[in-house]
Amino acid sequence: MTRTISIDHLARVEGHGGIQVVIEGGQVSKVEFDVFEGIRLLEGLVRGRSLEDVTGIVSRICAICSHGHSITSLQAIENALEIEVTPQTRKLRDLAYQGASIESHALHVFFLALPDLLGLPSAISLAASNPKAVGTALRLKKLGNTIQETIGGRAVHPVNYVIGGFGKVPSTDQLLTLEKDLTAGLADGWSAIEILRGIEVPDFVCAPVRCAALVPDGDAFFFGNSMVLSDGLAHETIPVRDYRSLTNEYLLPHSHAKRSAHDQRSYMVGALARLTLHGNRIKGLARDAWQALRLALPSTNILMNNIAQAVEMVYSIEHALHLVQDLLRTGLAPESPPAYQVRACRGAAATEVPRGTLFYSYEFDAQGRVAAADVITPTAQNLNHIEDQLREAVQQGAEAGASDPELQQRSAMIARAYDPCISCSVHLIRS
Amino acid sequence: MKPKIGIFGLSGCWGEQIVILNCEDQLLDIVGATDIVDFLGGSSVNDKDSPLAIAFVEGSVANEREERQLRRIRERAGLVVACGTCACFGGVAAMDAEQPREQVICQVYGSGGPAAAWDVRPHRPLADFVKVDVAIPGCPMEKTDFLRAIASLLNGDIPQLPAYPVCLECKMNESDCLLISRGLPCAGSVTAAGCGARCPGYNVVCIGCRGPVEECNIASLQKILEEKELKAAEIQRKLRTFAAPAVDRMKGGGLA
Repeated sequence: MTRTISIDHLARVEGHGGIQVVIEGGQVSKVEFDVFEGIRLLEGLVRGRSLEDVTGIVSRICAICSHGHSITSLQAIENALEIEVTPQTRKLRDLAYQGASIESHALHVFFLALPDLLGLPSAISLAASNPKAVGTALRLKKLGNTIQETIGGRAVHPVNYVIGGFGKVPSTDQLLTLEKDLTAGLADGWSAIEILRGIEVPDFVCAPVRCAALVPDGDAFFFGNSMVLSDGLAHETIPVRDYRSLTNEYLLPHSHAKRSAHDQRSYMVGALARLTLHGNRIKGLARDAWQALRLALPSTNILMNNIAQAVEMVYSIEHALHLVQDLLRTGLAPESPPAYQVRACRGAAATEVPRGTLFYSYEFDAQGRVAAADVITPTAQNLNHIEDQLREAVQQGAEAGASDPELQQRSAMIARAYDPCISCSVHLIRS
Repeated sequence: MKPKIGIFGLSGCWGEQIVILNCEDQLLDIVGATDIVDFLGGSSVNDKDSPLAIAFVEGSVANEREERQLRRIRERAGLVVACGTCACFGGVAAMDAEQPREQVICQVYGSGGPAAAWDVRPHRPLADFVKVDVAIPGCPMEKTDFLRAIASLLNGDIPQLPAYPVCLECKMNESDCLLISRGLPCAGSVTAAGCGARCPGYNVVCIGCRGPVEECNIASLQKILEEKELKAAEIQRKLRTFAAPAVDRMKGGGLA
């Protein structure tokens, strides 16, 4: 008997994708997480554009990750031009990343994932049944956006990030406002944890999660120069400049030839991977949140990524407050971005954006025009892992006698647990 | 009965749906004043058939599937609102490429393999396929433009959007002119206002993300930029970034 579990168009994710799982004779025989978002070819379209222009174009790959795309793009350019940014710039960028983390995680946990855990179709219905949860989530989202607007000039597609620094450094008054907002945000962050601790995360899938994340640089949890990949037994560390040795084999997940080059197993990037690998860096209120939510890592339940996001959200509120207070203590210098000479060069960078590790690399010609651009998004890396988890979930569910609608719902929840950003991933996969 | 609305995304970055969700202080009022029946980005249960008072559509049309989807939205909706520069002008994916699209696809996806069979036409704005009643440009559209539009439409008015360039807002902000006093290639003089001249306020040039303003004089800007020793090809690339089809269609005022 053949059963097909099919979702034509996955709801509550950024972008257009579908799922198809086929079971033949009790065994899963085919799993496809299909992406039919229109191909935009941005990496190709930026060829020939100047290094000043390219960041403003590639940020358009994705709205919700636009601060991450902009800053990672700039760091790759700075790496190519050998520009060292100031400690103030590093802190302000770190602060923007906390804003992105708060906003993106609040949106995903409460508006895209939580309805599943409560058996509701959407956050609109959640607003009617639990207005407190929606109110808290909206305030947190707004806090994240306020931080992003203050540092980047706009919540979606920031304008203030330039090579080597900022068009304009934020003012002390702006930081004082953020300090006030973040202090209030700590209470909202904890309310969010209180709401989530009463909700049970289902455990219909049990499969090991192989994790990859940047090794944090000091206390900057989302920045680093090397990647660590671990399945709990073996650890492998890879410098960012060699990122292709990590990601290359996954460039075309559905092509006929390229699924594996030297390593046949998929990996996952994102909050769950970060906390699994570097959770010992999480202290303070975020550690309390971790305990309150009974997050046990490493986990064999991918749905716990939603819980890991909630912990990171609290971490980001706390860390943002520390950064703001630190900047206020040292005082803000009206730094101008450094001058530079264009030349033929190449560079790469990676950062941890809410959905996982984002890689950028560029090659520029002697006039400073893009000769080659490569962008590898978290979702593109996660696609293989999503399919592996779908396979496990459907197989385990079928063996336990789950119905088609149940398997369909579970498949949607698995895919959504990764917070997939299909707009982001589309330049890497088939239409 | 509350007016039924739909929120749809074609190909793009999801920016306008994020902007709508970013109206944190007004979202519950919008939910209260309307009946959001079809919003795949936010809900797993959607009414895909009933007529809609207003359809908000973001993104550009990238393939036949999206063309069909857009025509279906038009049939259902009393009013179609194009949200954002991709929907209004095609956006960055409609940009001129140095090489033909077939070559670009090989660069991005590698040659051979399934990529050769893909539908890779340049993206096009909604109005190339259906009648658009209201166009809200911006990459992304401004929150205030969206809120004003929905408030106007719910009250039976067609929203008014600025028919003047970013330069005017920049002057009102008393920002230093990046083009004249610093010699930087700012596109504010040919770009539709409504952003409050945000970028020049950050000492960053306008890159034209809201698309060309009506009756703009692109040829004149091109002349100024040439005097500043910017190469014609470079100027063309800059001005075609967000709204290539519209810029190319402009009679006389367009690029050489």
